[in-house]
Amino acid sequence: MVKILKLVFSNFKYSLLAIGIFISMLIGLLILSEFIFITPYLAAHIPQGTEFGFSLIVILSGLSAIVLPMNIYRINILKNSKGKMGGSVFGSFIGAAAGACSCGPIGFAIISTFGSVGATSMAFLTNYEIPIRIAAIGLLAFTYYTTVKSLKVECKLKSL
Amino acid sequence: MNKKGVIIGVIVAIVVIGLIATYSSSASIETVNLDMGRTHGDVSTAMGSPILGDPNAPITIVEFGDFQCHACYNWFHTHKPAIYENYISTGKANLVFVDLAILGRDSSIAAQAAYCAEDQGKYWDYHDKLYNSQESKIDNGWANSESLKNFAFSLGLDMDLFDSCLDSGKYTKRVQYNLSEAKKHNARATPTFIIVGPDDQQEQFQGGQPYSTFKKIMDNMI
Repeated sequence: MVKILKLVFSNFKYSLLAIGIFISMLIGLLILSEFIFITPYLAAHIPQGTEFGFSLIVILSGLSAIVLPMNIYRINILKNSKGKMGGSVFGSFIGAAAGACSCGPIGFAIISTFGSVGATSMAFLTNYEIPIRIAAIGLLAFTYYTTVKSLKVECKLKSL
Repeated sequence: MNKKGVIIGVIVAIVVIGLIATYSSSASIETVNLDMGRTHGDVSTAMGSPILGDPNAPITIVEFGDFQCHACYNWFHTHKPAIYENYISTGKANLVFVDLAILGRDSSIAAQAAYCAEDQGKYWDYHDKLYNSQESKIDNGWANSESLKNFAFSLGLDMDLFDSCLDSGKYTKRVQYNLSEAKKHNARATPTFIIVGPDDQQEQFQGGQPYSTFKKIMDNMI
């Protein structure tokens, strides 16, 4: 497992991509979930009782930053199928969507545009924010596992 | 002559006591909103909550919120106490809650229930009760009509008055008016705050932001 990680991230481009994904996803999700505010002043806080949600955002961003570049590596270097890439993108997207609280500007825009249907879907995302994030993390972890497994096989085949 | 002096003395004493009572009630925590033309800056708060704190405070915090909003809940529990202690109870600022009841089907009725409590002089008690009772899921029944009546009962409100107020939908239009006022001011998230300073300067921002943000803005205004 470590060998595969070294193989992918020894390439500077993929390390840089991973850092970029981690930082942008972490900051984006923390803003969406109102842990960070940028206007009128830069401010950050972790309200009591939201520590677990905060931890899930960090884990989700970290996993996305590992799994997405690994799948891009598979596609670019090994010219392989894009199936697993779909899983990692889907996992990241679902995890990010769960953070879009219905009380935030995105949720508000959806509710204003789609009325009661929008309100119901946003209420669902808000009510099940934690389970959805856990499911997204599970999906990313599974994608990570299968990607590492297939990279092991594919790299062996390439080296033969 | 002495009798006259005593009578005048009694009248003067009554007037003085009356003035003191009036002054102390105006500085009390809850003031019933009877001013239908009430504005703060360019925000019409006429249909909003009664003013929390001194109505003559130089700064007014207008909060657009929803009783089912988790960010409002977090702000209420995490940051509002410090704002209350340092600005509202000291007479530097007051607060008005304006409904942006949009998050679920129970949001509007919860807002209406708070105004039914206002009829009995307990808006802010009821407001606090709702934020202390909020559950993590929107529309799971914690703010339905039955629960709202239970909250009123627990605060010792006259239940005949409260029930008839809530069941009649007396304050439906009031809540709708507040929603339109929120939209007029581009309040696109709950909570959204507009802080109105002494010279009607305004600062608007979204989210249940920390105490430090409020402190910076209000200290700049005073």
